[in-house]
Amino acid sequence: MHMKKVTLSLVAAAVVTVFTGCDATATKQAHAATPEKMAVAKMAMQPSAPPPLTPLGKAPIPPDNKLTPAKVELGKLLFFDPRVGGDASTGCSTCHEPEQGWAWAEDFSRGYPGTVHWRNSQSIINSAYFPRQFWAGSASSNEKQAKSAAKGGVAGNGEDDIMEARLALIPEYRKRFKEVFGTEWPIIDDVWHAISAFERTMNTTGKYEVPLDKYLKGDKSALSKQQVRGMKLFNGKAGCINCHNGELTTDSDFHNIGVPPNKRWEEDGLAQITFRFEQYAKGQTEEGYRAAKSDWGFYYRSKNKWDKGKFRTAPLRYIAYTAPYMHNGVFYTLEEVIDFYNRGGFDEEGRTTLFTKTKSALIKPLGLNDQEKEDLVAFLEAFSGPEITMEKPEQPPYAPLFTLAELKAAQEAK
Amino acid sequence: MGVRVTTGRTLLAAVLGFGVALSAQAAEYPDIGPLPQLKINKAKAELGKRLFFDKRLSGDAAVACATCHVPEKGYASKEALSPGYPGNGHFRNASSLINVAHRKVWNWDGRIGTNLNDMTREMLTEDYTMNMDMRIMQERVKQDPVYVRMFKDAGYGEPSNGSVRKAIPEYLKTLTSANAPFDTGKMSASAKRGMKLFKGKGGCIQCHNGPMMTDQKAHNTGVPENFDVFMDPMNHQAFIAFTMFQGIPNYMNLKRDPGYYNVTLLDEDMGKFLTPSLRELKYSAPYMHNGMIKTLAGVVDFYNQGGGKDSRKSGLLKPLKLSGKEKKDLVAFLEALSGDPLTSNKHVWKQPYPSEYEAIANWTKVPN
Repeated sequence: MHMKKVTLSLVAAAVVTVFTGCDATATKQAHAATPEKMAVAKMAMQPSAPPPLTPLGKAPIPPDNKLTPAKVELGKLLFFDPRVGGDASTGCSTCHEPEQGWAWAEDFSRGYPGTVHWRNSQSIINSAYFPRQFWAGSASSNEKQAKSAAKGGVAGNGEDDIMEARLALIPEYRKRFKEVFGTEWPIIDDVWHAISAFERTMNTTGKYEVPLDKYLKGDKSALSKQQVRGMKLFNGKAGCINCHNGELTTDSDFHNIGVPPNKRWEEDGLAQITFRFEQYAKGQTEEGYRAAKSDWGFYYRSKNKWDKGKFRTAPLRYIAYTAPYMHNGVFYTLEEVIDFYNRGGFDEEGRTTLFTKTKSALIKPLGLNDQEKEDLVAFLEAFSGPEITMEKPEQPPYAPLFTLAELKAAQEAK
Repeated sequence: MGVRVTTGRTLLAAVLGFGVALSAQAAEYPDIGPLPQLKINKAKAELGKRLFFDKRLSGDAAVACATCHVPEKGYASKEALSPGYPGNGHFRNASSLINVAHRKVWNWDGRIGTNLNDMTREMLTEDYTMNMDMRIMQERVKQDPVYVRMFKDAGYGEPSNGSVRKAIPEYLKTLTSANAPFDTGKMSASAKRGMKLFKGKGGCIQCHNGPMMTDQKAHNTGVPENFDVFMDPMNHQAFIAFTMFQGIPNYMNLKRDPGYYNVTLLDEDMGKFLTPSLRELKYSAPYMHNGMIKTLAGVVDFYNQGGGKDSRKSGLLKPLKLSGKEKKDLVAFLEALSGDPLTSNKHVWKQPYPSEYEAIANWTKVPN
């Protein structure tokens, strides 16, 4: 996005906050006289201030994909079924593994057999809330994300026809698709609908509510003193709130924060293959394909040079389980992340983005001392509640569609 | 495409065959004989050979062209039905690739009538065969220094999808029959008698004519369905994916292979398949588009009874009333159409491939 547009949208967001905030958040906060709330309210009233963190509400459900228990259950089966992929060995859960934060605990996602991905797998937890998915925001809904991931060459590498054919030969799926979608045969688009319905139930709400949200709803005991100190830094000196704000802990916008390229591209032949493939697949120019030595991020979508190296602000809830961090997974701990920001967007070797011209002006050395860094990490831990685990469902088996008698009759009738 | 245009002639031939009955004369048909020589570029063919046997040319790097087209089996599949891509099976028998460069039409249903370049693309990219995103393939090839050198030596410059699709067909040209008794003139007396039957009483030459012993047209001979296509969901899923993608109506309820119908969508073409070449049959059993007949004697028996059962069966097929001796002679002739096995280094890439991709050194400094 153009810098001018960024400014405009920030102003717009702030205006919305002021208007809606007046009758809800701001007035309520004005009644409670705690200093933090006063500060937050003050920030919200300033047109240039980012929206404050607010508790996670109910997940939005699109009108064209209503949730029903049967649809969610079907979506769960499909989410864990590796037959929704190219060679029947990779399903959604392959790279979004429940035990690994519903993501993948390596810098790059594991990728389709014979490949490796080139970006970090993002958790599906709370994915229902995000208006843009993937690191460059290339999908505008869970439905579109699921489809792209299942079909991408270094992800699921599945084709519609073979995936649809497989489901048609699994009686359990025929029955369930008919119940849920009313179709005689499973239709691939409904696969994405069902998976999305399942994903929209996988949120840090209810029993998985995170301490921060409890605190924001009024439970003062939910955060430790250290975490409250960290929150002040988050909202103030450290400037995290500039992008990690609002209900979603992300402005859902694109920024270049200075993450250095992943060194694996210099050392790993398989990663080099994928790197070039992505340049090719994402429509780089010949010149760009030859020259690219890091992920150009949002540029691939906008094709504007000022978007090079920008990525979607990552949401912060559930991050205790989703290491490593950043679009290319270069940082394995939250401490490393804080150090990176504290240096003004440099890693410990002094490396930063190759696109210094588009690096956000918001990223500057923060001057945090060790105590402050620890406080901030403690606060970041308050963005995660209990781990969300789930027993993987059994895969319903294939069965022949026709009986031998039917086939013999058809042969006779030829 | 070629086959579609010549359908009229096929029908005409059927009418003629009916009139002339079993007195079909060899002179009416392009004579069987030696294959014309092909000009081969050695460097390109050598590159194509390495590509043909390289599993990295499939999506999950688990299957190569040679997985279904097995050298010891005359570059055809071992089993009645090809193995297909991991995660699914297949619904047809992979044809022998020996002499494939002499064809004008490819696939059992004749759906490709352009060139081997297109055929190569089809096999690499279809999800039930090799499921290869060719953009990934290109980058894999570029990551292997041996390929980089071989592409350069072959005059292709930097490895690309386009040149992969050229090099494999160049290699396929090298898969040409060599020293078949039929070509060397060293046929047994029995085989010689068989040749006469082939051209005469057996009526084989009506479809199996020209140097390849195929008219490269589609006919319905009534080969029974291979029920394994439908009873094994792994094969059936490949069949459904194929018929769905090809736009065959009512594909979910289809209980037979539509064959050439896929090309024309005309009912009269249901169950027609391209006449296969008869060269190198010694190696390529089982036979027919779905591998339903295990031996050459079985094939001769099948035609001797006038083919299989199908309301649209070709009028060319009638019971032949061949004696036991005649059938043996015919089999002897068919065997005389096979030459030396093409299983040495000359045709098979036997050197190992690297177990992993070497990283390009100094990556940040060199252009991609």
